[in-house]
Amino acid sequence: MNNKPTITKKQLPKGVGFWKDGFRRLARRRMAMVCLFIIFAYFAIAAFIYLAEAFNWQLSIVDWSSQVGEEYQPPSKENIFGTDFLGRSVLRKTIYGTKISMTVAFWASIISLLIGVPLGAIAGYFRGWVDELIVWLYTTLSSIPYILLILAFALVLKDKSISFSWLHLGTLQLSGITSVYLAMGLTSWVGICRLIRGEIIKHKEREYVLAARSYGCKNARIIFRHLLPNVFHLIIINFSLRFVSFIQAEVILSFLGLGAKNQPSWGAMIDTARLDLPKGYWWEMTAATVAIFFISLALNIFGDALRDSLDPKLRVQ
Amino acid sequence: MKTKHKLLTIENLSTHFFTQDGVAKAVQGVSFDINKARTFALVGESGCGKSVTALSIMNLIPKPPGKIVSGSIFLEGDNLVKLNEKKMRRIRGNRIAMIFQEPMTSLNPVFTIGDQIAEAIKLHQKKPSNQAWQMAIELLKKVGIPDPDRRVSEYPHQMSGGMRQRVMIAMAVSCNPDLLIADEPTTALDVTTQSQILELLSSLQKQNNMAILLITHDLGIVAERADQVAVMYASRIVETSSAKDLFAEPMHPYTQGLLKSIPTLGCKDKRLYTIEGNVPNPLQFPTGCKFHPRCPLGCDDKRCQRAEPELRQIGDNRTVACWYAAGYETENERKEYEKKYGKRK
Repeated sequence: MNNKPTITKKQLPKGVGFWKDGFRRLARRRMAMVCLFIIFAYFAIAAFIYLAEAFNWQLSIVDWSSQVGEEYQPPSKENIFGTDFLGRSVLRKTIYGTKISMTVAFWASIISLLIGVPLGAIAGYFRGWVDELIVWLYTTLSSIPYILLILAFALVLKDKSISFSWLHLGTLQLSGITSVYLAMGLTSWVGICRLIRGEIIKHKEREYVLAARSYGCKNARIIFRHLLPNVFHLIIINFSLRFVSFIQAEVILSFLGLGAKNQPSWGAMIDTARLDLPKGYWWEMTAATVAIFFISLALNIFGDALRDSLDPKLRVQ
Repeated sequence: MKTKHKLLTIENLSTHFFTQDGVAKAVQGVSFDINKARTFALVGESGCGKSVTALSIMNLIPKPPGKIVSGSIFLEGDNLVKLNEKKMRRIRGNRIAMIFQEPMTSLNPVFTIGDQIAEAIKLHQKKPSNQAWQMAIELLKKVGIPDPDRRVSEYPHQMSGGMRQRVMIAMAVSCNPDLLIADEPTTALDVTTQSQILELLSSLQKQNNMAILLITHDLGIVAERADQVAVMYASRIVETSSAKDLFAEPMHPYTQGLLKSIPTLGCKDKRLYTIEGNVPNPLQFPTGCKFHPRCPLGCDDKRCQRAEPELRQIGDNRTVACWYAAGYETENERKEYEKKYGKRK
């Protein structure tokens, strides 16, 4: 049937997919790569602390609670960031705080995406009463002042436990940071839900959705296999930008006394340092702020770079 | 009639859209039969209800606001209008497949074409992934895509419009459907690609013994490819016929107008014929025969303005809906007309 001379394999350009292409664009931005490195470094520190605790490594850098010198020592050679009111190393506390902040921000982002994305997709795809219900839910939720809502959730969830015995998984103690990230995750899915809903409404009118239905796809398959991959770049971008706001929210919650207890988080450090600052003990505040500053900056720049290289509408070369 | 050769029978199909501005009667009382392994062409202007008819057959009318308000669609005994969604899904893609006007947007941009063809196969046939992938390569070869082994793992944006339409066709024929609905398959393609795609459809039709419902506004394609033709105007069928008879002797003034407005080679000096006026708004159809405001015969006729002619059988295998068509009026109707409105001019 086809006797035309065919193009040899060498002549055809190699196929490049959406993701590969996007990440290739990203890799060309030096600033984004530096930021990615910083983000990885923070994650690595957090992971390292988890490992050290899990295997009980006796490392001085992880041991934040022991006294290393006199109280309120200014930064010196032995203690780069000085010591706090109990003579503990501020550097070690800052490093340990990475674990708390990254854990909280990570799980809060995951929880909010797990709630927001499916709800937004279902609302946008089915419309009708399902849409009205979900829109009602999130407009109600978003009309409550955010801090108030998060406080309410955190207070309700505090020191409770959820039993997963019906799944043979034991119980989840909602102590300390668990209640913090649950509260943040459960209250902040509105933005992503709205975004995904709008995108799905736009995408479901495209002909490939009709084509998929015309060869017998189920609704669930169309939503999760055909539509979500088309908006997935938005989810990733949103994740990276959301992460920053959760790190900052953790600081605010700790500041309000609802954060991690008996563990140094950046928020808790700022909270204690705020009383020391007028006395001239600036180093604890500085250490925590610098730690927050770099991760926030890196995530913001990286998020923007992600958007530029993954969003088809912004792709310029 | 040769009932045993009928594949699809549409009886009195009406599909309406309940919009905020009123009810748009997109399809009203449409009936036709599609025979096995034949090409049935549905011709008409934009917005006359061709695509809505096709989507009604697939039960893919967006609802709300759309709804099939009456009628039945029989696919060899099964009434598709009555089937539930689950049973309908088994028919879509498997027994009736569809290709669309716009090949540039009908493929999902984030998956390779192999993924998409394999998905269509796996939905209806229990096949392991690698076998479905092999079938996808075979299908690409069948629809004439060069170097299918490599093309199968490419993305839609790496292909031209014609190739994408070939991919769509490969997906559509992957489960050997009995009926392929081609909704203006060549409108978005350039002329040389058009004929290749139509050639491909014809050869697949012969190989797979499949019927094609060809929806188009291009009478050239109809003359070349169709066996039976139905002409639609303002949500109704105004004339059905075999393609040969239609072009030899169009009976409805609308069809006559359409045929007259095709440019012919060699006549430079004459202005091209046009049908005056516009397609009526489906929210406000004219009374009587919907074509009468634009009709050279019936625009002043009182009966055309008041009474809508139904589709009647005229001669062998032809139907038409026009008071003026030869042999349409019964003797009684003629007498009644003359009594009411006087002698016809």
